Amino acid sequence: MTREEICCGLRVGQQVPDFEIDTYEPTKGDFGKFSLKKAKKAGKWTILFFYPADFTFV
Amino acid sequence: MGAEVVTISTDTQFVHLAWQRDEKLLENVKYPMGADPTGNVSRMFGVYDEETGLALRGTFIINPEGVILNSEVNYYNMGRNIDELMRKFKANLHLSKHSNEGCPAKWKDEGDRTLKPSAKLVGKVYEALQ
Repeated sequence: MTREEICCGLRVGQQVPDFEIDTYEPTKGDFGKFSLKKAKKAGKWTILFFYPADFTFV
Repeated sequence: MGAEVVTISTDTQFVHLAWQRDEKLLENVKYPMGADPTGNVSRMFGVYDEETGLALRGTFIINPEGVILNSEVNYYNMGRNIDELMRKFKANLHLSKHSNEGCPAKWKDEGDRTLKPSAKLVGKVYEALQ
């Protein structure tokens, strides 16, 4: 990752580096992995929805 | 609508499992719940709060080529509007198929009027929107 990414985060218009993240998949009832590379390969749009913590409100 | 939706918080995947099973509001969740306990992915998108170890309420729309087209970040106590997210996503889809058009401020859905930027439109946007 470049220094710019570490201090400011990615900006609109920038290319997101391929990344993977561990997941829980409710439809399977099991753990999995989300890979941006795979979503791109499948021609899919990706919407990332960050939030502070489970078991909280809003 | 053909998008991969992934939620992400700094909880582990085990907490996600427990929460999804426990909270009635999450009964119908079908999307993967991402775990970012190290905060690496949250930092990548600039939503990691070093003081609390939690992620801010950020939404990012990424196209199939991997480019971020939209970003919205709210502070802890303000939720996001799903209608607005749908609006932005539909606008992105439309524009990806009609790259010579623009979605004006009041655009809400497929079929709403768009603008075709050109020399003819310069200074005449009001007329184009009537």
